Amino acid sequence: MLALTRKVGERIVIGDDIVVTVAGVKGDNIRITVDAPKEIKIYRGEIYDAIVAENLQAAVSNDLSGLNLLKGLNKK
Amino acid sequence: MKLQSTRLGELEIDEEQIIDFPRGIPGFPDEKAFVHIPYGEESPFSFLQSANEPNLTFLLVDPFAFFTDYEFELDDEAASELGVSSENPPQVFLIANVKGEIVDMTVNLLAPVILNPVNHRGRQIILEKKDYSIRHKLFSQGGE
Repeated sequence: MLALTRKVGERIVIGDDIVVTVAGVKGDNIRITVDAPKEIKIYRGEIYDAIVAENLQAAVSNDLSGLNLLKGLNKK
Repeated sequence: MKLQSTRLGELEIDEEQIIDFPRGIPGFPDEKAFVHIPYGEESPFSFLQSANEPNLTFLLVDPFAFFTDYEFELDDEAASELGVSSENPPQVFLIANVKGEIVDMTVNLLAPVILNPVNHRGRQIILEKKDYSIRHKLFSQGGE
């Protein structure tokens, strides 16, 4: 892992087409802008982690016998 | 071909029913093949069963059966990867999480599963919508 120190306004270039700029610092908050091709997905780390955690939990085989109760529930 | 599912038992499926998830699913990056199994003909519920891992089954919910105003814009990149368009619309599902009672189940509004029923491709996408919850109760007020 590479760790870099940057000042406000300075940039990091990743590969040929990703540019990360430190736009500003206010207390604990660091504002970063990312210029990247559209096919590169950018997520806040905690959101992606939360989706992963939710998927892992949803995949645990639960007792779904109660789902039979919903059998009569049809699409509108 | 035959497919084993811990939840659903032995399933007899056609090879062409297998849906390709080229990116896997967040949390399961190596699971790239699933089968979509309806729960009943008119049921808003269905299952997404891994073709390789019998223990991996997701319960899916048709969002539009419960949330009439559910909407999002599929970005061009995802649409072209999946091969969907307005002429060839995708199917949209939510992954349900049942931890206790069925009536308390939650659904993930923020990360719907998109399927292309024509070319059998799928992907779970993450929306940029602040008002969509990862754990939204399916039955408000504890259900009916």
